[in-house]
Amino acid sequence: MSDGLSILLSDVDVGPRRHPFLRVDHLQAAAGECVGIIGPNGAGKTTLLKLCCGLIRPNRGTVLLDDRPVGGWRGWRGWQGRRIGYIPQQTEYNSHLPFSLRDVVAMGRNALKPALRPLDGADFEAVDHWIAEMGLHDRRHQTFRSLSGGQQQKALIARAMVAAPRLVVLDEPAANLDTRSRWQLRDIMERLFRDRAMTVLLVSHDVEFLPGACERLLLLRRGRIETDGPRDEVLASPSAADVLAEI
Amino acid sequence: MMDAYFIPILIAGAFAGLSIGLLSVFIVGMRMPFIGSCISHAAMVGAVYASLFQVNPTLGALVLSILAAAGVAFIHPHRRHFDANTGQAILLAFMMGLVFLAVALEEGSRTEMLGLLWGSILFADWGTVVVTGGLAVLLVAFVIAFEKELKAVLFSRSLAAVTSAATEPVYLAFLCFCGLILAVNLKAVGGLLIFSLLVCPAAAAYQVCRGYRSVLLAATGFGAMATTLGFLGSYVFNLPTGACTVIVGTLIFGACSLVRRALAISE
Repeated sequence: MSDGLSILLSDVDVGPRRHPFLRVDHLQAAAGECVGIIGPNGAGKTTLLKLCCGLIRPNRGTVLLDDRPVGGWRGWRGWQGRRIGYIPQQTEYNSHLPFSLRDVVAMGRNALKPALRPLDGADFEAVDHWIAEMGLHDRRHQTFRSLSGGQQQKALIARAMVAAPRLVVLDEPAANLDTRSRWQLRDIMERLFRDRAMTVLLVSHDVEFLPGACERLLLLRRGRIETDGPRDEVLASPSAADVLAEI
Repeated sequence: MMDAYFIPILIAGAFAGLSIGLLSVFIVGMRMPFIGSCISHAAMVGAVYASLFQVNPTLGALVLSILAAAGVAFIHPHRRHFDANTGQAILLAFMMGLVFLAVALEEGSRTEMLGLLWGSILFADWGTVVVTGGLAVLLVAFVIAFEKELKAVLFSRSLAAVTSAATEPVYLAFLCFCGLILAVNLKAVGGLLIFSLLVCPAAAAYQVCRGYRSVLLAATGFGAMATTLGFLGSYVFNLPTGACTVIVGTLIFGACSLVRRALAISE
């Protein structure tokens, strides 16, 4: 049985009521599914991810993870065991603080520990395992801010993975990376997504960057889902050419 | 030799600097200096209006600063269509307007009210030492108990909120601590100058330290140093205490920047 979280959005609007940034009539992702999301700037990709993480609330409609609401008090009560690994864009975190790489990865373990209970040896064992898995073992005591962009992204993936997430949400993880780092990151994601039964939502500007594990593709344009289906079919659809031309 | 009268003043000042220095690590680290000034000005509004209506100013400061802290906590960057700093700046400007309105409405002597703006540590007695010391101990205990949550909020509030359900309640509790500590120390440092203490100690510590705990220790020390040396400076040269404290805080920041450059502190 899959350990991923299922996602259901129905009749959702986000933003100004007359001209919402995002409108989703119906979107469902089964537990363990890996969904790639592409679209031009302003298409609503990040908004969609934030909705699924409970960071923003819709004006109307429902967002359910494993049939439980994601936001508000009811969402908070249903938190236990949800375990979402979120890898945001760089503007969402403060990379200038003097945290070590190990500190940053260890923050991911907060998902498994109640408040007032500090991280213990088993937590740091998991942290060191994931740092090594990302090939950053030699740099674990270095400050996060001194790492290259590619290394920071790997650290954030380790941070997400260290809590054995049931849903992983990645927002343009390859943005601002050089070609070599992009492909390295793609290989890491390919391996992770194939090996584990978690649900994945991955936003990218670039179809080539999406790992093969993302067998389903969602095309977003102007706050609407333009096409949704198996990757090859979506890429062969007439609207795909229009959307890709805008990217 | 210093008169025994000044001993509690010196100790209360050191406790105030210690607490505010510790708070500053989070205020500066979250890149939201307006949070501190917003809450400190709300404390000032509470104090001046309480004074206007002949109520205990500290009580007024306490109520308003905790209300402001709760208000600030709900300005979530993802749920509003404007930048959180902009929202806090608007609140800050509104608070300042209310303060100056109260000063204008005061018909009698405005000395006490203006004292709340500029601050005077000379109000402090042994009772103040107990209160500021107790709050400092509570704040240190809070920072130790919720270390993992506070670290995560510092790195990214949204990332932390997705990771753990405890994040938002801990963040709200932290802001309430801010309100409490700023309200209690308002008389000593002054509403207008407390803002500097909320920025300089951490800004200095971030210059020379690497590692979360060393930043906490250094900022706490720099805060206590700023108030203690500020008070001694004001005692020796007969100058206003709040102004001296702010100048010493800024000098500490300048010195740390020079040290960082001179030693080429690496990662």
